[in-house]
Amino acid sequence: MVRKQNQSPETEASLFLVEFLEVAITSIVFLKGIYPIGAFERRRYMNLVVHSARHPKLHRYIHDSLIDLVSYLQQGMVERVAVIFFNAAKIPIEKFMFKINVNRSHGAIMEDGALESSMRAFLIKLSQSEPLTKASSQGWKWEIAAYFRSLPSDNGDRWIRTQALQWQQPPLITPIKSMKADPFSVQLYIEHPDLLEPI
Amino acid sequence: MSSDSSHSAKSASNSKRSFNSTNSNQSGANSFSKNKKERVGDSGQKTLGMAWGSGSRSSSRSSFRSSPFTDFGSYMEVKNRKLHEQFDAEASISSHGGSGSKKPVFHGVSIYVDGYTVPSSQELRGYMLKHGGRFENYFSRQRVTHIICSNLPNSKVKNLRSFSCGLPVVKPTWVLDCVVADKLLNWAPYQLDQLASETNNQPKLSAILGLRSNLVACDPANAPLTSDINISEVGDSAEDIKQPNQEYEAFEHDICDEAKDKEPSCSNKCENEVEETNERRRCSDIQSITQTLSMISGSSNKGHSTSFDPNFVETYFKNSRLHFIGTWRNRYRKRFPSSSRPSSSSSASSTCHRNTIIHIDMDCFFVSVVIRNRPGLWDKPVVVCHSDNPRGTSEISSANYPARDHGVRAGLFVRDAKACCPHLVIVPYDFEAYEEVADQFYSILHKHCNKVQAMSCDEAILDITDLDVDDPQVLASLIRKEIFDTTRCTASVGISNNILMARLATKSAKPNGQCYLPPEKVNDFLKQLPIKALPGIGRALEEKLKGRHVKTCGELRMISKESLQKDFGPKTSDMLWNHCRGIDNRLVGIIQESKSVGAEVNWGVRFKDSKDSQVFLLSLCKEVSLRLHGCGARGRTFTLKLKKRKTDEEPVKYMGCGDCDNLCHSLTVPMATDDVDVLKRITKQLFSQFHIDVKEIRGVGLHVTKLESADSVKHGNEKSSLRSWLASASPSKEKENKDHKLVNILHIVDTKNQIGGSHHHQPRSNADVGNILSNQEANHSSDVPPLSDLDSDVLEKLPPEIFSEINDIYSGKLSNFMSKHKLDSNGVGTSSILPEYVEGVAAESEPGIISENTAASSSQYIDMMPSASSHIDPSIIQELPEEIKNGITNLFPAHSAPQIRSHDHLVDQVKPTDHSSSHQLWVGNSPQWVEKFKSSDSQILRFFSDMYSGVGSTHRLSSVLLKSFSANEACLGGKTTECDDTVRCLCQLLKDYVDLELESDLEEIHTCFRLLQRLSGRSKFLLQVYNTTLPHLQTAMRENYGGSLRV
Repeated sequence: MVRKQNQSPETEASLFLVEFLEVAITSIVFLKGIYPIGAFERRRYMNLVVHSARHPKLHRYIHDSLIDLVSYLQQGMVERVAVIFFNAAKIPIEKFMFKINVNRSHGAIMEDGALESSMRAFLIKLSQSEPLTKASSQGWKWEIAAYFRSLPSDNGDRWIRTQALQWQQPPLITPIKSMKADPFSVQLYIEHPDLLEPI
Repeated sequence: MSSDSSHSAKSASNSKRSFNSTNSNQSGANSFSKNKKERVGDSGQKTLGMAWGSGSRSSSRSSFRSSPFTDFGSYMEVKNRKLHEQFDAEASISSHGGSGSKKPVFHGVSIYVDGYTVPSSQELRGYMLKHGGRFENYFSRQRVTHIICSNLPNSKVKNLRSFSCGLPVVKPTWVLDCVVADKLLNWAPYQLDQLASETNNQPKLSAILGLRSNLVACDPANAPLTSDINISEVGDSAEDIKQPNQEYEAFEHDICDEAKDKEPSCSNKCENEVEETNERRRCSDIQSITQTLSMISGSSNKGHSTSFDPNFVETYFKNSRLHFIGTWRNRYRKRFPSSSRPSSSSSASSTCHRNTIIHIDMDCFFVSVVIRNRPGLWDKPVVVCHSDNPRGTSEISSANYPARDHGVRAGLFVRDAKACCPHLVIVPYDFEAYEEVADQFYSILHKHCNKVQAMSCDEAILDITDLDVDDPQVLASLIRKEIFDTTRCTASVGISNNILMARLATKSAKPNGQCYLPPEKVNDFLKQLPIKALPGIGRALEEKLKGRHVKTCGELRMISKESLQKDFGPKTSDMLWNHCRGIDNRLVGIIQESKSVGAEVNWGVRFKDSKDSQVFLLSLCKEVSLRLHGCGARGRTFTLKLKKRKTDEEPVKYMGCGDCDNLCHSLTVPMATDDVDVLKRITKQLFSQFHIDVKEIRGVGLHVTKLESADSVKHGNEKSSLRSWLASASPSKEKENKDHKLVNILHIVDTKNQIGGSHHHQPRSNADVGNILSNQEANHSSDVPPLSDLDSDVLEKLPPEIFSEINDIYSGKLSNFMSKHKLDSNGVGTSSILPEYVEGVAAESEPGIISENTAASSSQYIDMMPSASSHIDPSIIQELPEEIKNGITNLFPAHSAPQIRSHDHLVDQVKPTDHSSSHQLWVGNSPQWVEKFKSSDSQILRFFSDMYSGVGSTHRLSSVLLKSFSANEACLGGKTTECDDTVRCLCQLLKDYVDLELESDLEEIHTCFRLLQRLSGRSKFLLQVYNTTLPHLQTAMRENYGGSLRV
């Protein structure tokens, strides 16, 4: 939680959110068992034991892709951030959706700990949630994707095409955790393919 | 399939047909000339001999450096002022004494004398002095009213307008006669002889012009256009148009004569002329369109009510060569169906056996077909063109060889071609003849060879490898002879061992020859061949290669494949590498499936208002739909292209598109379609996304891609019936009351959409759907809601068949019921939403697009439904007015909802509920429902109310439900005697809660429904509630999260 003092409240909130997402996404990846346990190390975040990627590339991927979202988060353009797990055929198996709502009018992060406690609750719930611990994830790949409310004006070269395919049917949704706090609220839910989906 | 794009748009200025507008109307002269001057201002040349106006600046400024004047302009100003003062002083002395009673003869007249005159300019000045006129030593448009001269040099006669600025040019005798007659005479008879011959009817025309200029003056926006009509050349072609009004034939040649002869009043005349001009302009370029072609926007602000010709698109394409070529293939396929399939045996032999390929191409097909029965024209330069006006800006589409010798090429403007070759013969298209000849051509080819690949209507490739032919040249000349004998048109033939070389050989064989290029000679042939000759090398690629000093194929061969790959990418480099070595592995007989179908109109597109454009779009949709039908294809992606003009100026090419920005929007729908109604709606939505002033549009194109074969999509009859259902269902959507049948139907529609959208996953036949329909109807016909619960509006909008069916169910009471109700038919504003199918993009763009869609087409009926509400952006839905929102919400049936719902649920659906006061139950710190339920006489409702009060500060329904677990069964209505009203109240509570919380707190809703599910095992009453609210939840889920909740 290294923050500079001269940042605007929005930037601060976005960075805070991104930091939180980084922890949450790393947790998901860790819990899914995509990588061997040795790829992670235990860290402390908000007085909770979390895992952080040890491998520099993995760490950088998660970190950089989220940092790139900061400016869009500030503009309130990001609607959802997804962690998509897909199989060798590039068909998504599971999507962890972070539905994000940044309250831009709110401004600075309150120091009363309400946000922090709900974030802690979020991470605890995440680590306990059932869908994360079951199902084998052999040979899966994953990626972070962002869903925007509208196309960013600089829809240029920095964007990478998502590798995963789309589902033909609307997915089944299992909620994991919703947190409502200012200046941002995050909901995490899992999308599974519909039973009719050919996989 | 673009057509008529302006090729080499030469910057030749319009040759302006000038009116000699010397004006008799003295009083109006000043203002008139001023106005006109403004319009003429763009003519460029100022040839005024001594036109040092007061404001003019001198280039020789330096010589005045020492003088008191800063420049020549200010010097002239002072000089003019001094001359005026002198003149005034002299005038006061020399004027008639008795002028006080009567206005002097030349009052208001100010002359300028140009050149030598008899009497001399000094004498004329004297007359002016005496009779109250003015004399200008230097020409000034503002001050001079008449130009006096006895002779004009030729150059001034030619450029009279720029010389005179529209002022009357009269002989000096006019002044003398005026003095003699002691009154101001009409100057017209005194007009300079050189000019009079051309402008003998000047008074009338100038009156017209004066009138027009006034008109222009009051409407400056129209000025450029109106003046354009009057001054610039009128009409592009006159001769070849079947002109309904013969008397206007002369119009183009001598406007003036005509204007003199007939017409009652000037203003009327003016209107007529303008209209006729428009008429002429409109019909000029395309032959046989005698009536209003299109929409010259604002060219006349009166009498021009012709909205856009409804048949424009059809006529346009009927007359489009490119269209003919484009659609010819379908015709060919129908005629020779076997040939379109590649024969399976063709490939095996390609390596071991030497192939022999004949490429045959008709010589200047479009010309030779037209003149095939006119041998007299065969050796004359002939071109095919829409218009044969020698000054026209119509483009030549095909020129025969004699014409090409004169430098006439396709794409040239007619007027330029005429300049190259004055005796050029211009003939119109003859599409019927083209078809006939093309058919004959292919019949001959198919007779001689079974492996024919059609390249175009006049070009084909034959593979004669398998034929037992000793000498391909003999066969080729045989074919050529036969073609000539049958069609009287010549063809050229190239023979080689592959398609590429055969085509290249044909090029050198033309015209009317044949060229055999055996493999041994290929190398030599290619070595000197300029790279431009290779197919696939266009201007851009040529330039690039030129940069590498590659001009011939021989030079191209020097470059390694790797180096090519680096510069041009894998595909292009392969192509280059192979082609310059004469390698071409394509097989004869394979016709590429078309990847897109579309239509584009870039000529004659001028919209006056949005209505015009809508009409146009509709006809374009019709055309595209027809083409889709013709190809037997359906498409999923629709792209609308617009050409937006870059400048306000009219393009050089008459009615052409000129310099334009190309804009395009596209949309993908989940279900492939070729239906004109769907196309129309999609196009409308796409169009609205442009936010463009329709007046700026110069071209419109609609293209359909992601084609699927129409056969694979089984729609059958059910489609049309469902459409009628939808069309009738949609108007009623804004009512949230629904007949239960509609619910069924919509459910089926959804099933159908799923089938359409992913037909390859779920192949279902029509019969299946039909079964569902009848099953569900059967299910529900037993328990119909009471008559009073039906909504008359909904019933009214049902199609008659359905109505009568329902009427039967109610054993005839329904029609009585209906007649009692007054039918209020308020405007129905429903919103249609199209699913945006986003494929694998990192940034999902749905919401923005949908929002535009929604906004744009809110007046449209829904005739197409998204296959799932996941395609709909919840935030948009949220912002819609409540009724519309409910309408849309209700339109999305729940896939996963139980197909047959309880009777109570249906009643609930049919009964009017006050959705407009949505969420009110949850308003307030202690929500309203708590109070409401508390005062209710239902035990259960009171129970919930108590529970809520008991849970404390959380205000969460889940806590209430959780607490309910501890309650005994009696409290939860274990005995199922609760009335429907209680169920409805609780359902409403839950629904409101879902609407309120779902977006922000999915977890809470999830918990609630899971608890409810578990509770429903204990209470039939809650089971009812659960079953009723679950579909609502899932619908809301799909809106908000694009999926269904796993409960």
